[in-house]
Amino acid sequence: MPVCDPAAKYAAFVARISKTDKKRVNITTDIDIHAYYRAFREIIRLVHASTRVDEILELVVWKATELLDAKGAIFRILNLQTEQLELYAAHGLGKKYLEKGPVSSYRIITELCRQNEVIIIDDILGDPRVQYPKEAWEEGIRMILDIPLSLGNHVVGILRIYFSDHREISKDKKNFMVAVAQQCSCAIDKARLIEEQQSRYDKLALQTEKLSSLGRMAAGIAHEINNPLAGILLYSSNMIKKVPEEGPLKEGLDIIVHETIRCRGIIQELLDFSREREPKKTLANINDVIGKALNILENEFRLDHITVETDLSKEMVSSFLDENQMEQVFVNLLINSVEAMDKGGRIGIKTRLGPEKKCMKIEFKDTGCGFPKEALDRIFEPFFSTKAKGTGLGLAVSYGIVENHMGDIRAYSAPGKGASFIIEIPLIRQPPSEQTEGFENEAP
Amino acid sequence: MKPLKILVIDDELVICSGCRMILSDLGHTVDTCKTCKEGLDAIKKGNYHLILLDMKLPDSDGMEVLKTVRVEKSEIYTIVMTGYATIRNAVSAMRLGAFDYLPKPFTDEELVASVERAVKNGAGSGKLQ
Repeated sequence: MPVCDPAAKYAAFVARISKTDKKRVNITTDIDIHAYYRAFREIIRLVHASTRVDEILELVVWKATELLDAKGAIFRILNLQTEQLELYAAHGLGKKYLEKGPVSSYRIITELCRQNEVIIIDDILGDPRVQYPKEAWEEGIRMILDIPLSLGNHVVGILRIYFSDHREISKDKKNFMVAVAQQCSCAIDKARLIEEQQSRYDKLALQTEKLSSLGRMAAGIAHEINNPLAGILLYSSNMIKKVPEEGPLKEGLDIIVHETIRCRGIIQELLDFSREREPKKTLANINDVIGKALNILENEFRLDHITVETDLSKEMVSSFLDENQMEQVFVNLLINSVEAMDKGGRIGIKTRLGPEKKCMKIEFKDTGCGFPKEALDRIFEPFFSTKAKGTGLGLAVSYGIVENHMGDIRAYSAPGKGASFIIEIPLIRQPPSEQTEGFENEAP
Repeated sequence: MKPLKILVIDDELVICSGCRMILSDLGHTVDTCKTCKEGLDAIKKGNYHLILLDMKLPDSDGMEVLKTVRVEKSEIYTIVMTGYATIRNAVSAMRLGAFDYLPKPFTDEELVASVERAVKNGAGSGKLQ
């Protein structure tokens, strides 16, 4: 995340902070214990409240410059993919100097972390740790303070503070900057964890939706192509009967029939591969399947401050069902709930046995934004979505799966009142009957 | 084979005319129509022994025709044709009283074999209305 125009970014940041938080941020040049305390409290508050590393680092470079009465400060953070140190935040330095490129090499930072201490560079023109000594001197830099940012034994970056004069930096001030740097390291770690989770979650959601789209597209295309193929096959197979037994006409028609039947096979294979598959039912307890779905999204709940309350029936017995498909249904419902609650909330999951143990009832309830009645009527339609980025296939696929289990899924909601989904599936204790397979053999 | 009065309901004209040609060659009388509504009107007016029904019609689902036939003209045999050849669709159609299921595309022989099976099972032997 390189900073293109630090001055503009800083100005925007100051404007934002002073607008929302005028009382808390106290811009002061008085370097006393209270100023340090206030700055530290401010930084910690932001580390906990914000998931944006750049915002936190912008505040830190600014505060460090102010408190140490320095010329300016920068953050360089190691990009794990490129292994390059990227400029994340800068304050008080000219554009010309910043554009010069990395002001400290990876080697210098590793050295810094190995020593794991604050380093003072007094000799700007002679110290090898200054990458562009001439430009630094022209910028008016006379002394540099390097503070390592590390997590465990790993280097994550550097906080470099620039001074326009030579001076003594007290032990207290150094300790203060080390403590601030530690907080920044934590913030970077937290942001990376969130980013990782987000990317895993996006991949999962994308994969599910891609598969659903493919299945639906294939079914649609198959229908469109099967109709013209039916015309070709009907006519050609009929004409074969009407042409002489031997000769070029019969030969040509034989080829047309043969090739059309080949097309039929290809389309059938495509459908078998991609359409909503018939469930592969095995004996499983629905409570366990719910547990698996919850495990998949465990980190999402934690990061989005969502509490999950389960009330799973202890009497629940195993039934013949497709575990993978049912898990997909539950994951779809949970993802929808997570996305309906942007500031935390509750998800309640309840399972019960129906009257005379003939069916099981599964209820998912959330405290999210809910949806209006018009949406309720269309919620299971393919390509219908209440989400800006939704493709409208998650619930359509879930509906198909529940239907494949001879069950029923219903949605209840109102705007701002959360949403609940109730699934009822017959409890099947015996292996599924062979009725459908029997018919398949009979079909021409 | 005993000549039957057959109705083909499909919005694809090529399929309607193809079926008509093949079945007329065998001596059957064939009418065709393109929508569910036209189909239902024809069923009420005509004395059909057999219906060839596409499940995806522009105005409604072929299931509606199946339901009407089962309730009002249960002596009519129905053969369902569809491009969505899923077992689930077939099972639903059979539950609603369809006699057979022809996944598209099908050949002359497959169509004739299915009609012959219907005749063997009694299509055309019931009293006409």
